[in-house]
Amino acid sequence: MNKSVSTLNPLGIDGIEYVEYATTEPQSFGAALERLGFIAVARHRSREIVLYRAGGMNIIVNADPDVAGNSDEGSGAPRLKAFALRVRDAATAYTHCIDKGAWPITPRVGAMELNIPGVSGVGDTVIYFVDRYQEFSIYDVDFKKLPSANDANPSIQGMHFFGIVQSIDESRTKEWIDFYEELFGFSVLPQGQYFGVLPKGTLLESPCHKFYLQLVEPPEQAAVLAWQEKLSRVGFGAADIPALVKALTARGVTFIESDSVHTSDRGAVTYLGGTSFEFVKSHLGASR
Amino acid sequence: MNLGNFSMDTITLAGSLESKLDAAASAGFTQITLWAKDLVGHPDGYDAALNEVRLSGLRVNAIQVMRDYEGLSGPLHRYKIETVKTMLKLCEAVGAERLLICSSTSPHASGDIEHIAADLRKVAMLATPLGLRVGFEALSWGRHVNDFALSWEIVQLADRANLGVCIDSFHVLANCSLNGTNFDVLSTIPGERIAFVQLSDFMWKAVRTPEERIETARHLRVFPGEGVHSAELSRMIRMIDRSGYRGDWSFEVFNDDYVQMPSAVVAMRARESAMWVAAQSERRSLPRTINRGMHA
Repeated sequence: MNKSVSTLNPLGIDGIEYVEYATTEPQSFGAALERLGFIAVARHRSREIVLYRAGGMNIIVNADPDVAGNSDEGSGAPRLKAFALRVRDAATAYTHCIDKGAWPITPRVGAMELNIPGVSGVGDTVIYFVDRYQEFSIYDVDFKKLPSANDANPSIQGMHFFGIVQSIDESRTKEWIDFYEELFGFSVLPQGQYFGVLPKGTLLESPCHKFYLQLVEPPEQAAVLAWQEKLSRVGFGAADIPALVKALTARGVTFIESDSVHTSDRGAVTYLGGTSFEFVKSHLGASR
Repeated sequence: MNLGNFSMDTITLAGSLESKLDAAASAGFTQITLWAKDLVGHPDGYDAALNEVRLSGLRVNAIQVMRDYEGLSGPLHRYKIETVKTMLKLCEAVGAERLLICSSTSPHASGDIEHIAADLRKVAMLATPLGLRVGFEALSWGRHVNDFALSWEIVQLADRANLGVCIDSFHVLANCSLNGTNFDVLSTIPGERIAFVQLSDFMWKAVRTPEERIETARHLRVFPGEGVHSAELSRMIRMIDRSGYRGDWSFEVFNDDYVQMPSAVVAMRARESAMWVAAQSERRSLPRTINRGMHA
């Protein structure tokens, strides 16, 4: 790899391997994911964790009491707890981030379980590093395949991970830009360049050009709201939003229509299973 | 500028943490600068200290102080990283807004400003997920960084949004006195890059030796308006004010006499000093009369 590529993408990031939700209501959240076209494919060998998959997307639903039971919001509503980056070498990525001032996470590894290195992200979230996503799968070690699982479950209308929305405190945009630039090599898109139907905040592009992070400061009236720094929403991309909306509507998904949010060719938003998901007209292709 | 912009530093007051917090609050201050030892050295333990701070209702603007952090290598660097992480967690636990780091006096520290900037970048990164800021202060007897102009150069080199310079008027004035220099460079620092301002004065014009400077710094500072550099301090305050700085002003006054006085008396002197500082500002809004006992 030449120096310029290494500098632009120091960790060899290659997209999102999985996102992880914590919830005390895994069945209802799982049902919500199934409406979006995901199916449960594997169960963790020792903890109450289920892997859902659609196309190249993996979503981990973690109902382990140690993780899901300490919701600040006091409800069983799913909380985005982590995302895992596909990287060239997980150990190198971890060391790189620690050397630059990331906080290491304390691994919770049981016997014969895989230790996935990670660092602290916003709030109590974790950013993991996964390098076994091509020939091998991290899930083969810790998860047991469900008998009903169907490996070939293409996502609906080529739906793929497009991005993650992170709410941040007032005047903290520059600090979080520093965080993602310095540790991972993200870059800021010019102001005014947005995707989807929620054009606000600051967009950061991954160095692999395969997904985005959106940093959103509180709205002006947020003094009265319970705003907190966290990962707040996953965005799915699709080339044809009307076709995706039609397909999801047929599966019982309803989309938010309000003064500020409307379904359009650019995107749509749903509130499902206790959390919101965004759909964005995407120029990115579905991976794997 | 009003009393809400000012704070006392617990180093100025005698007595227990609780009595210091009470004295500051009773004098009308709404924020406080704490030292880590206020919390970890509490006779009833760390958690009791955190609770006292919470109950006081005072906003903790900063935790003092990380020493001899930057410029180290190998095991010493790793040791200091673990120390600064503990300090940051302490800031988070007590709800402090920033950690103050003073420039290293260690003979083991490198003076390479790229190295120092990288170390500051690292602590700023550690501070980010915790929602904290970091202030880098040039101790006037720092081994390599002993002038605010150099600390500012390094902060610019580090280039992190949550990292700024901490301006301590004592060190600025003492340097000028010892070296025959001025502090005009202060006017070039944008307000948003000033992480914190600590104000104090002292009682003589000439600082003849570095040793005298240290002795004065640790034992004989006075509140702004009480010392002999009022004209210089006044100019400094206006420069910082004009820079756009809208952060906190803390009185970091080490004084052996003050710690022999009742805390309430010292806290009222601090309040008088806040009024003096506000009067130097072009944005003055603090009333001239003292409303005693507003938090009694």
